[in-house]
Amino acid sequence: MTRPQERLSKPFTITRVFDAPRDLVWQALTQLEHLGRWMSPAGMEPVPGSLDLRVGGVYHYGMKAPNGQIMWGKWTFREIVVPERLVVVINFSDAELGVTRHPMSPTWPLSTLSTTTLTDEGHGTRMSLQWQALDGNDEENVTFDGAHAGMTQGWGYTMDQLARYLARLQ
Amino acid sequence: MHTDPLSATFAALADPTRRAILARLSTGEATVTELSEPFNITPPAVTKHLKILQRAGLIVQGREKQWRPCRLQPQPLKEAADWVEPYRQLWEQRLDRLEDYLRELQIKRRRK
Repeated sequence: MTRPQERLSKPFTITRVFDAPRDLVWQALTQLEHLGRWMSPAGMEPVPGSLDLRVGGVYHYGMKAPNGQIMWGKWTFREIVVPERLVVVINFSDAELGVTRHPMSPTWPLSTLSTTTLTDEGHGTRMSLQWQALDGNDEENVTFDGAHAGMTQGWGYTMDQLARYLARLQ
Repeated sequence: MHTDPLSATFAALADPTRRAILARLSTGEATVTELSEPFNITPPAVTKHLKILQRAGLIVQGREKQWRPCRLQPQPLKEAADWVEPYRQLWEQRLDRLEDYLRELQIKRRRK
């Protein structure tokens, strides 16, 4: 759901098919006890957060690094269509739900709009995840597009070429 | 415009023609004329792209020869990849874990 006067960058998409029914995938995506089981990266300990599943509600989550530092993030629910579509605004955050900048890139967009769509695929479920920079200024959109263009198509080719090039230099 | 080098690299990479120029240069040096041929754009347009790539530190243009060949500088590209990869990997890993977790949940449900 795009709102008037909202600026969105080009989307970046990842798709995955799960061997599980759609209602179960939906639960895993929208319930706190389930989210804690898969959202934290390897080596990061999930920090108990909070979840208020309604439009305008927030999922607040933390990930604790081995050095004890906690990274916070939050999703603000914008659209909830059970069990097929979840639209959230993603922000880096602090422990008090304040919105923060990307820790590594000052020009990473402040807000990312994420749209998750679930569809039946045989006995399983196809999950399509799409991200767009939300209301980014030009510089932020360019950062996002550059990073994602790289992720989706550019890197594969360029990095292969680069690897060959570096091999020749050595 | 860009305060940090990483953002300058991403900005330079945001354009498909510039990515194609980099891919071409990874096979070896090329002059502006050589670069403008395959992309069907004028040499001045190529020069504009090259300036952006040069500012991002992705290429250098030789001074010694009249035709000033361009050469790839791979370091910023590597730094950008090092930064982008973990982000993509984060989500791929999350989905891997979700896949395992969903399997686990279904086994539990069947037992009930």
